[in-house]
Amino acid sequence: MRGLLYLCLLLVTRCECEVVKQKIRLDNEVLKRSIIERTEETEDDSTPPPPSPNIVVLLADDLGYGDLSFSGHPTSRTPEIDKLARESLFFTHHYVTSPICSPSRASLLTGRLQVRNGIYPWTFNPMNFLGLPRNETTIATLLKDKGYHTMMTGKWHLGVGRQGEYLPIHHGFDHYLGLPYSHNMCSCPTCFPGRPCHENCTSTSVSCPLYSNGTIVEQPVDLFTLTSRLVKTAVTFIADAAASRKPFFLYFPFLHVHDPQFSSEKFVGKSLRGTIGNSLYELDWAVGQVVEALRQHHLLSSTLIWFSSDNGPSLTMHEQGGCAGLLRCGKGTTWDGGVRVPLFVHWPLRISPGRSDGLVSALDLLPTVASLTGLNISNLTLDGVDISPLLWDPLVVSPRKYMAIYPVDPNSTIGPLAVTNGTYKAHFYTQGSYLSDDDNYDPLCPESHPLTKHNPPLLFNVHHDPGERYDLSADPKYSDLLRDFTAWRKNHMKNMIWDIPRATPLDSRAQPCCTSTSCEPFPKCCDCPASAPHRSTPNSNDIHSLLFL
Amino acid sequence: MKGVVLGLRAWLVAGVLIATASTSSQPPNVVIMLMDDMGWGDLGCNGEPNRETPNLDQMAREGLIASSMYTAAPLCSPSYTPQNMVGGIPDDEVLLPELLAQKGYTSGLVGKWHLGHQPQYLPLKHGFDFWFGAPNCHFGPYADLLTPNIPVFLNDSMVGRYYEDFHIDKNNGVSNMTQLFTDAAVEFINREANRGPFFLLWAPDATHAPTYASEKYRGTSRRGRYGEAVRELDAGVGAILDALRAHQVDNNTLVVFTSDNGAALVSKYNGGSNGPFLCGKQTTFEGGMRAPGIFWWPGVIPAGTTTHQVSSENTQPSQPYEEAVAEWCGRRWICSRTAAQLAGVQTPQDRIYDGLALAKSLTHPQLEVQRPVFLYRGNRLMAVRRGPLKIHLWTFSTPTAELQKGINFCPGAEVPNVTTPTPTNHTARPILFNVEVDPGERYPVSHLSRTYKDAIQMLKKVVKEHEEKLVPGEPQLNWCDQAVMHWRPHGCEALKECLPIPQSNPYLCDWPH
Repeated sequence: MRGLLYLCLLLVTRCECEVVKQKIRLDNEVLKRSIIERTEETEDDSTPPPPSPNIVVLLADDLGYGDLSFSGHPTSRTPEIDKLARESLFFTHHYVTSPICSPSRASLLTGRLQVRNGIYPWTFNPMNFLGLPRNETTIATLLKDKGYHTMMTGKWHLGVGRQGEYLPIHHGFDHYLGLPYSHNMCSCPTCFPGRPCHENCTSTSVSCPLYSNGTIVEQPVDLFTLTSRLVKTAVTFIADAAASRKPFFLYFPFLHVHDPQFSSEKFVGKSLRGTIGNSLYELDWAVGQVVEALRQHHLLSSTLIWFSSDNGPSLTMHEQGGCAGLLRCGKGTTWDGGVRVPLFVHWPLRISPGRSDGLVSALDLLPTVASLTGLNISNLTLDGVDISPLLWDPLVVSPRKYMAIYPVDPNSTIGPLAVTNGTYKAHFYTQGSYLSDDDNYDPLCPESHPLTKHNPPLLFNVHHDPGERYDLSADPKYSDLLRDFTAWRKNHMKNMIWDIPRATPLDSRAQPCCTSTSCEPFPKCCDCPASAPHRSTPNSNDIHSLLFL
Repeated sequence: MKGVVLGLRAWLVAGVLIATASTSSQPPNVVIMLMDDMGWGDLGCNGEPNRETPNLDQMAREGLIASSMYTAAPLCSPSYTPQNMVGGIPDDEVLLPELLAQKGYTSGLVGKWHLGHQPQYLPLKHGFDFWFGAPNCHFGPYADLLTPNIPVFLNDSMVGRYYEDFHIDKNNGVSNMTQLFTDAAVEFINREANRGPFFLLWAPDATHAPTYASEKYRGTSRRGRYGEAVRELDAGVGAILDALRAHQVDNNTLVVFTSDNGAALVSKYNGGSNGPFLCGKQTTFEGGMRAPGIFWWPGVIPAGTTTHQVSSENTQPSQPYEEAVAEWCGRRWICSRTAAQLAGVQTPQDRIYDGLALAKSLTHPQLEVQRPVFLYRGNRLMAVRRGPLKIHLWTFSTPTAELQKGINFCPGAEVPNVTTPTPTNHTARPILFNVEVDPGERYPVSHLSRTYKDAIQMLKKVVKEHEEKLVPGEPQLNWCDQAVMHWRPHGCEALKECLPIPQSNPYLCDWPH
């Protein structure tokens, strides 16, 4: 036995050294890599970086927690995004404010919950004539006031208005090229000319308008060439900004991978995942192009890139919907599959690659950027918090303590259905959604699961049990925690000031129309040939010409 | 249980081709890291959100991820009293170390053996030159009265027993076994690296329930106790790769990382993750059968690649990979059946190796599409995967009796007609999934579609060919006997740990799954 004990002792001692060494080696490697990158960047730069970073926000549409190859999808192909993610700080517990599009985007741009700025219930459709209130302050407005060039390329979805008064150019963007809402809300056959349209596009709506600033320049938009045009516009914007040596803000909300999926010809059939795979592959290409443009202009070290998604995957599209990975349910629900989405932040000069499990939200973009660029936001009532401490040290306690998770159709009596502190999540109510697939084998995901109150709330440890499978609420050792969650939620609801819902009133003739909203036969008469914009172009500028390159 | 044999055999033969197909004068070393009950989704590089496997992630960046790596059976061994099993690996099965011995390889096994524990079945009788580990899972502790504690062996003698000499604290999940297994592997490499080619099978079982990790890993994982075990194994992977680098044999060593089956979802939040896949261990759904797969051979295997980048009309981004593979194939690899002969190793001609195509698929992704994978549960062919398609001839989830006890192989997934509580025969109208677009096996391809008709016709042909070719092995694990348990392992006398052997009373084992 003595020999054996000696053997064990020897093995243990040596092994411990090995493990510690291993750990140090890893730490050093990470450090070394980031230092090398920083040095390379600095050396590459011919000009000193501006005092405030440029900001690039890349937002995918309906991209789930498990859709990237980086996030563990076995057949996705996302080499460019994966590479960027590896060089970034990846946030594993990032929540959006809504499991659906418009509210989530409103919160991203304003740092305020959707119930404060009125972007609910559900989303804007072409017949809504309201939009993000003009008195809301977006991150673009703040940065523009600070002297940033601002540009938006892609999907807006925060309202158009009868006179276009809610478009991005009225919310701080110098330039805008893109669609005002999701392309599945357009008249389908015109978006996919000559091809079968396999999903839920409506035929009663106007065909998809493409806006340049305040003008419709193409209706229906040619979706098959759209992504490359958006990319070209973004890349030119970056080049112009580099030449002018002024800081810039680029907001690039992609139409990918929302259904019905499309992609340019060169991405068709290039994926193992079918149409969603093709559109994801084109999204990946587009991200790569933006990053490459920054690199070419030696701007990577002076630019903060924020990559994320607006909400979870649209499971109702079955295999052509996205993938929530190991999370429960998807779009439309307050389970993690609906509201927990990838986020990574890239800024090689200041942020070391790695990951953080700190609780963060899309709400936190605005205050964080404000902190990084010295914006004065003291006059704003925000729900976001400055998470920059996590950017410098991913292991510090997150400045965000709680996150309230609202349903697609919030009301002030019920309030947020769930609350999380990043480790635990309490569901006070649950509600399924058709967007999470009425055929879903998980009975709590489909719409057939009605709004259901839970008392005590269902409690999950989202670290140990990311799939929210094993309810802990019956265990008395969590009663204090449940009390904390309940008290926080009550206080949150008491202090919330609800704005009136903007996404409700409808008027068919309010739809974006290239010719005249009184034309006949409506909506067919709204179409314009791509090369002949009809409406006057009050904000036309040099960007316009890019459209026809 | 035939699956155990098939599974290892597939692996071992893959290893043979890899090891022996090289034309260089120095045959490459082979290290196979075989985890226990670790799921596809437990690796950071496969999307585990907490990214607690930095060494594996680095290994994947330097190597190749096989996203569609299947195990041969959805379980390593029944989770019942395993040591009363009479049988084991038959003598006429030729294992990789026995083949490699022809070319001067030294072979070591560190960790769990699990191919039979009676003396004639132990590793040193089957080609291994070194063994540190146990013949069974680390179940226990036992009182040594009805059941003896599992012995731990060093070569052909026991050096102690689990829970007695090699401590596992089930209450707090602490044991230093992974440290011991890691260090033994590193020591083996230190000893063999400069002496000639070696083969190391590293099979630690810390992620098998009851999971454990060393004291210093306690509380270090965001995932709880299971995550601690994964973290320590990941550190072990790093230590082994470091040892290869330190001896400068990393460019001449193929390292394969995988697991024996999917994560055991019955362990609930104390078990692993199968990522987006359906169900877990014990089933032939993707969650039970798809295992993590990383192939690492610096300078030979192109870094940062995955094998699913396969298409006859490959696009720009994957071209460098294809070129690299082609070059690899031409330069270092003999893509022909004569590989083994050229290398001087005779593979037995009298048997069919299930794993032959596996090795080729490594070098040329296009071959992967052509290779069907047959998924068994027990001796029943349940499902077949070929290319993007997977056909379920039979389905079987958790038996009702187990469900009533709170055991669930498919928590949260009650799919009508798919996760069936009894073995259900779908041969007349098989269930078809495209697991490339639908890895979660959620959306069966409609049996009215053209795709379905074509696919079923093709797959049924594949199954027919397989069944005609397959000569079933004699089931080795049907008989149980209390007398064959670890009462008096070799070496017990020196330790004074021999126990009285009860009277022999053989009976047919009961396998409820």
